[in-house]
Amino acid sequence: MKSAIFSDWAEWLPRLLDGLWVSVQVTGLSLIIGLVVGLLLALAAFARTRLLTWPAVLLVEIGRGMPALVMLQLVYFGLPSVGLTLETYAAVVLALSLTTAAYTSEIIRAGLRAVPDGELEAADALGMSRSDVMRFVVIPQGLRIALPTLLGFAILIFQISSLAFSLGLPELLSQAYSIGANTFRYLDVLTLAGLLYLAVTIPAGWLVARFERRLSRHLTT
Amino acid sequence: MKQAESILSLRDVEKTFAGHKAVDGVSLDIARGEVVAVIGPSGSGKSTMLRCINLLEVPDSGTISVDGKNLDTSGTVSARDLTQLRRRVGMVFQSFNLFPHMTVLRNISLPQERVLGRSREEADRRSMELLERVGLQQKADAYPAKCSGGQQQRVAIARALALDPEIMLFDEPTSALDPELGLEVLAVMRQLADTGMTMIVVTHEIHFAATVADRLIVMADGRILEQGPPQQVLDDPQHARTRTFLSAIKDR
Ligand SMILES: Nc1ncnc2c1ncn2[C@@H]1O[C@H](COP(=O)(O)OP(=O)(O)O)[C@@H](O)[C@H]1O
Ligand SMILES: [Mg+2]
Repeated sequence: MKSAIFSDWAEWLPRLLDGLWVSVQVTGLSLIIGLVVGLLLALAAFARTRLLTWPAVLLVEIGRGMPALVMLQLVYFGLPSVGLTLETYAAVVLALSLTTAAYTSEIIRAGLRAVPDGELEAADALGMSRSDVMRFVVIPQGLRIALPTLLGFAILIFQISSLAFSLGLPELLSQAYSIGANTFRYLDVLTLAGLLYLAVTIPAGWLVARFERRLSRHLTT
Repeated sequence: MKQAESILSLRDVEKTFAGHKAVDGVSLDIARGEVVAVIGPSGSGKSTMLRCINLLEVPDSGTISVDGKNLDTSGTVSARDLTQLRRRVGMVFQSFNLFPHMTVLRNISLPQERVLGRSREEADRRSMELLERVGLQQKADAYPAKCSGGQQQRVAIARALALDPEIMLFDEPTSALDPELGLEVLAVMRQLADTGMTMIVVTHEIHFAATVADRLIVMADGRILEQGPPQQVLDDPQHARTRTFLSAIKDR
């Protein structure tokens, strides 16, 4: 009995690994795009650039307030009604990027603001330009402060990427469902899929914790 | 005073925070090479006056001139004027304010590279010279967290000096330090005064004021209450408030 499960798992594994690879891809792309936008939003908020304020606030509020599942559905089904039809893959990346940008902009902004005012004053008093103060003092320290939280969020968005199954993107959960539909062995295949998620998230969590300890070394005063 | 030679002049400088006059019409001329100590009760506007000098606070009215160059602070100060001013006026804070993610050497070299355009080698050479002067060349590669408060403050002094300022402002540089660590900072400042640096030092270290300063200024309520040679002000204060304040700090 037991060995039967393992031989089934061995049979399903290649498809599930294909799905896992898609999950990793959309997560990675969303993180790259979302983090760049999130950093820009955080910098704009930090500099209190009036120009960017209200679109930025809107994006952040919508991105954080809207359930990721709703965001996915809206991007996929809603954008065609305004003349923009995206392939499933692109729609998922766009929706997850928006969610990522909204959350990470707040995480990064909190990191930037945690840099002590005294250091900014000292940099000002030394005659450093606004952009140099950001580049050499605020951003490196702010990102370092934000990094553990950002990495934690990265693990979260990887889990959230499973919601893309609702749009039929062939990621890990979709693959598991379609195997389940063919074999009626939903529980077995979902267990294997769950283990594959854990095989990524648990080691990633450990790495984050180790990284966090290493980063805090110079900063303890 | 020596009006013609004054390197720094404040005229009727005022700064108000939320309806409260932190600095209320201060005029001051400081001669090149002069060391001025500033004392006064907490909240009397000492920090705000210093911060107005390098425009960390922009005064509401009045003029500030450094080396004869007037800064009209009522309009907006251009970024260029601001940089020019700040590279000539160095400032040391009570809380050191080193950049904790950079080594001691980087802390001192980076501003030279960014503000004066020195090359990395040139900046590092100058930084090492200054670290030697403050007795910390062995700490060049350490991070600030690995330095004592006194060492951090000496690094902060070296960092400000590295830009070759003409005037140095000190805002209670030893107040955050244990007495013996304060002494090593005061020794560095004493040595700096001996080299002829123009200095304004807000401090409660009466002994330092008495032995190093050329002039002692007493502030109260955003104004200069009295000023003169330190011994004269300390031995024969003209105002009752000065007497009260002096006996309060002597009792500590
Ligand atoms: N950034 C600020 N915002 C509001 N009030 C301030 C600010 N800085 C100083 N003050 C007020 O101005 C007055 C003078 O402060 P300060 O110059 O720090 O005095 P001192 O350095 O002599 O203790 C105080 O009443 C203080 O509360
Ligand atoms: Mg003060």
